[in-house]
Amino acid sequence: MKLLTKTTRYYVLLAVALFALGAGALYGGLSWALRGEVDEQLLAQRQQLLTAAARPRPSPLLSDSLSVSRVPLPGGLHDAVRFDPAGRTLVPYRELSFPVVRGGTTVWVTLGISLLETDDLLGVVLTVMLSILGLLLASLVLLNQWLARWLWAPFRHTLRALRSYDLQQRGPLVLPATPIDEFTALNLTLNRMSARLAADYERLKEFTENAAHETQTPLAIMQAQLEQLVQDDSLRPASAVLVGELYGATRRLSRLHQALTLLSKIENQQFAQAAPVRLDRVIAAKAQQLEDLAAGRAIVLHVAVAGVPALTMHPSLADSLVRNLLQNAVKHCLDGSRIEVTLGPTLLSVANPGPVVAGDPARFFERFRKHQAASDSPGLGLAIVQQICHYYGFTLRYDFAAAGAVHTLRVGFPAAAGLGVKK
Amino acid sequence: MKILLIEDEPALRSAIVDCLHQSGYACELAPTYALAHEKVKLYQYDCVLVDLTLPDGNGLDIVRTLRADRSAAGVLIISARDALDDRLTGLELGADDYLVKPFHLSELNARLKALIRRRQFQGQQQLVFRDLVVWLDHTKVLVHGEPLTLTRKEYDLLLYLLANPNRVLTKEAIVEHLWGDDSDAADSFDFIYTHVKNLRRKLLEKGADDYIQTVYGLGYRLRAA
Repeated sequence: MKLLTKTTRYYVLLAVALFALGAGALYGGLSWALRGEVDEQLLAQRQQLLTAAARPRPSPLLSDSLSVSRVPLPGGLHDAVRFDPAGRTLVPYRELSFPVVRGGTTVWVTLGISLLETDDLLGVVLTVMLSILGLLLASLVLLNQWLARWLWAPFRHTLRALRSYDLQQRGPLVLPATPIDEFTALNLTLNRMSARLAADYERLKEFTENAAHETQTPLAIMQAQLEQLVQDDSLRPASAVLVGELYGATRRLSRLHQALTLLSKIENQQFAQAAPVRLDRVIAAKAQQLEDLAAGRAIVLHVAVAGVPALTMHPSLADSLVRNLLQNAVKHCLDGSRIEVTLGPTLLSVANPGPVVAGDPARFFERFRKHQAASDSPGLGLAIVQQICHYYGFTLRYDFAAAGAVHTLRVGFPAAAGLGVKK
Repeated sequence: MKILLIEDEPALRSAIVDCLHQSGYACELAPTYALAHEKVKLYQYDCVLVDLTLPDGNGLDIVRTLRADRSAAGVLIISARDALDDRLTGLELGADDYLVKPFHLSELNARLKALIRRRQFQGQQQLVFRDLVVWLDHTKVLVHGEPLTLTRKEYDLLLYLLANPNRVLTKEAIVEHLWGDDSDAADSFDFIYTHVKNLRRKLLEKGADDYIQTVYGLGYRLRAA
């Protein structure tokens, strides 16, 4: 709910409650005062009547609204309803009955005053109150609309700027000062924060690049010199094996480092540029490259394309995604079995029969998680797949079917994949 | 063949120069941008190997200079920077190839050979090695004049060996040359053994000499004599 709607709602609720209370109090007070006035009039009339009755010659002054009864009536003030023959309606009355002794006999006299005027007065008061309430509510709503349009405009501008903010594209935010102190303070804080963020991002990016460069250079030296050492014919065979192992280790270190650099680059969102990617072509190319590796272990790589997802992503990440999925399948596939690769408009699945693995599937996506501890691979393939999926908002699921011990990895693409990718 | 090596790292420079000398190239060195620029302006080279990050400048500017001068030299970039942008910029500027550090010297050798071949011999290209003739344009191999049928990978392997005669090719270098990024999928080197075994068998069947030598614990070597 919008902030203004919310505040308006509370204003209105409070106003309605106060007005109801006020109207009730006013009604109660007025009707109490008016009734008291009527009662006083009645009592004054009784006094006049009694005084008149005590005189030898009674005056006919009060005869009009006077009803006399010989039957004893309960005395005192009370409400009553009388029929008005002229208006042919029932009219509320306030009555006072009392006994009068006259010439030795007692008669019961009832005085009455119509309450019709009193009720009219109350009606007028309530109408006025209610129309003021209505007017107030309407003006509150109008005021809020105006506030929303004019007063909150800088805030909405800030919000829009934040929503479309992209660190990699535009550097720090530049939000203007506004006529409202709070919004100006907010904008200033945001500007400062984004400047710091941009600086941190730049530093991190630079660090990753430098770290990559600085690590690969000594590795390149080690590798090149070891390779030259291997060419030396005077190298004893036993030493040659040692040098060979060292050489292999530098290669592994270098590949590991490349994979880690890729992971941190994805985490730093350094793959902003995106282009439409035909995943079927990527898969076909990768499958072909892997074909003879697979054939060496009598593995059949079967690709079924049911549909092509409309993806917009960085080409090297698309390549990396497919490569790591397929490599993982080939690596863990049982010799002589079949890898099923299925591509649909919203799904890419890779299924391979493999050894039964116990444990939480989530662990397969952890970094450096290997099936065999002694394996040459650094165990980063699925971590990279997961990172890429996370970056583009794809879903990634792992399933294990006990029948045939089939491991399946499923990548789900959103219906409008890649359109609003960056998060 | 005269080659200019622009590389600021002394240890790496000496290993590369060593390798290039062994392969029979004459090699000049330029450890700084300034020196490299001067040499490129003054002399003609068949090929220039450029490192991108130099202490006093960017290697890409050397590539620009070479192309602006319409130099006939082939350009091979060697860089620790693996960003796609760097690669694309380098190739767009007119570099012929891009090799990411760390690389195998045998790979550098093979790329260099291919590059020089491409630049210097238009039309028919053939490689002759002892009793072997390879027609590169037709991917055809002849042993004693008899055609030899090879699979794609066996052919690539043979070319790689031919590009590095007398050099020990490590298993790692062969895997990465043949399968590139996909070499990770192969956890062992067994399949190289299979490929080499098949290639050797086919060569022997056609009466070629047994010049592919196994170097225990390391890899393979093509014996030139």
